[in-house]
Amino acid sequence: MLRNRYTPYAFLSPYIIVFSVFWLVPILFSFAMSFMNTRSRTWQFDFFLNWGRLLEDELLWQALKNTFLIIALQVPAMLMLAVFAAVLLNSKDLNFKGLHRFAIFAPIVVAEAAYAVIFRLLFNDNFGFVNNMLALINIDAIAWTNSSSGATALIAIGLTWRWTGYNAIIILAGLQNIPKDLYEASELEGASPWQQFTKITLPLLKPAILLCLVLSTFGTLQLFTEPTLLTEGGPGGSTTTVAMYMYSQGFKSFNFGYGSAIAYLIVFLGLTLSLLQFKLFGGKPDE
Amino acid sequence: MANMQMQQLKKNFGNIPVIKGIDLDIKDREFICFLGPSGCGKSTLLRLMAGLEEISSGEFLIDNKRMNDVPASQRGISMVFQSYALYPHLTVRQNLAFGLKIQKLPNDEINSRIKEVARTLQLSELLDRKPKILSGGQRQRVAIGRAIVRRPKVFLLDEPLSNLDATLRVSMRVELARLHEELQATIVYVTHDQVEAMTLATRVVVMKDGAIQQFATPLELLHRPANVFVAEFIGTPKINLFKVEVQECGPQSITVTHALFSNPITIPIAKDIKFAAGTELTLGIRPHRLSTKQPLDCTISAKVTIVERLGTESLLYTDLGLETLVICSAAGTVPINRGDQITLGFSSDNCLLFDDHDQAIERCLPADVQLLIS
Repeated sequence: MLRNRYTPYAFLSPYIIVFSVFWLVPILFSFAMSFMNTRSRTWQFDFFLNWGRLLEDELLWQALKNTFLIIALQVPAMLMLAVFAAVLLNSKDLNFKGLHRFAIFAPIVVAEAAYAVIFRLLFNDNFGFVNNMLALINIDAIAWTNSSSGATALIAIGLTWRWTGYNAIIILAGLQNIPKDLYEASELEGASPWQQFTKITLPLLKPAILLCLVLSTFGTLQLFTEPTLLTEGGPGGSTTTVAMYMYSQGFKSFNFGYGSAIAYLIVFLGLTLSLLQFKLFGGKPDE
Repeated sequence: MANMQMQQLKKNFGNIPVIKGIDLDIKDREFICFLGPSGCGKSTLLRLMAGLEEISSGEFLIDNKRMNDVPASQRGISMVFQSYALYPHLTVRQNLAFGLKIQKLPNDEINSRIKEVARTLQLSELLDRKPKILSGGQRQRVAIGRAIVRRPKVFLLDEPLSNLDATLRVSMRVELARLHEELQATIVYVTHDQVEAMTLATRVVVMKDGAIQQFATPLELLHRPANVFVAEFIGTPKINLFKVEVQECGPQSITVTHALFSNPITIPIAKDIKFAAGTELTLGIRPHRLSTKQPLDCTISAKVTIVERLGTESLLYTDLGLETLVICSAAGTVPINRGDQITLGFSSDNCLLFDDHDQAIERCLPADVQLLIS
């Protein structure tokens, strides 16, 4: 009897052990570290040292500003594109649907380093393909890596290219759940395709779009790879994101306590933004 | 209020013909039911009328105007879908107003129409609720309300009661009959439930494999079916069919025999038709026309295998070694049990005859039936 009671836990134990050692302990330990002075010879508790520094660290605030600028530029544009792509992919007039769905989803399976190399070539300030194309239509070359606005735009473009398809597939799943009867009923009532899109499709896609919004906001808050590989946080720190700053504090300056505090700040900001988004746009459409 | 005509209406999906040349003339204010088994094309025909499917060939006219290329919204048609198709994110009021707002009607007009429809369908209390929290019957009423509020010329209803439970279906059926009286509208109603068709329709279109089998009043379908399919499809329980042999043809009568019949039976028919002796015909007798009490013109001896007591009637299933069990409808309290040997009598007046191509041989109707049909 006793043996039976513990059998399920025995089966679960490999996962629980791995989860505890590699997830739970580091999570709790890093939280504890955020209250420690980790630059002294022996780490000591100093409750307000790191959390207090968060408020007055100008570099951190700059990194936060950079991150939020990228979120504000990229997330709405990407979601609009994703909705557009999903509607196209769902169109009954589209041939080779499977091929198109794979094509739009493909960027997500390309290694980040590989696409960063290609993007750096394409967007090279002097001999890049994009600037050459702009020159053909008499537009001045853009300093993609040597100006803060160019570098921010480059990261936003890279992120949009990589993640639009992923979000489009989530939205496509939402689209396919909308009963066709609703479109037929509205067609009989005289609704134009645009009215069907704004009055039926968009409201009923709200849960899928909200999911993408929350995932994308959280994802971009942790943005690290693209600015590291494309702009190296520059020029002049203008594309250094809060995740890059956390990394540099933790693993370049070896200030693990402060790095942990920044990590928890990211978690806190992500949760707050998600809750805010649920509050503002949430609620199921049929409730 | 409108009349409608279909002339050789056809619909193909790819190379597959689904509607095979329908000719139909629907009069103003009629309540027409399309009745047939699943996959017979009745819903497709309705969608062709609504403009939700493109007509492959033939003509569809409303009030003598060709509708083939007229967009769905401009045909003056409202449709109630089997799934109700209510907009889940909108309240009942917004659902009712949806089409009117698209038509850009003034707000006062929209509000007064909604009020009127809500009163007719007892929706006033539900106007600010969303469809999700409504019961099946309430959703159904909203769907009908959304159709009525646009004041169309024609109402199309696609199996609107099939998602409701039995009790609600009966009450909604009565409601629909009342609405038809009140609105004086032309209604086309798709169903596979013959009780709905028989109780609601002024005329019924019986369909099979994309073609019309018969277009007639409910009683005509029952008493004068055009062929074996209609005879079998209409009437509950199903008609009993016997493969009989022609013995001789007299003036307006045919005498047929069957190994299980007590004697040859002479069936009066409306016209003189001659069949060679030995020709195989089909004879149909409705279960309620078989009697366990009187011998009548002819009898069959049978052993009861199943007795279904339905309260007011008992269904006796008897195995005569034919392909299907022969069913007799008797009184609810008939003292017959499983295993009893019984004698079933029937009168020649009540027999239906079908030729070797399964088409009805027109018969002389009994006086009471003749009176009802005419």
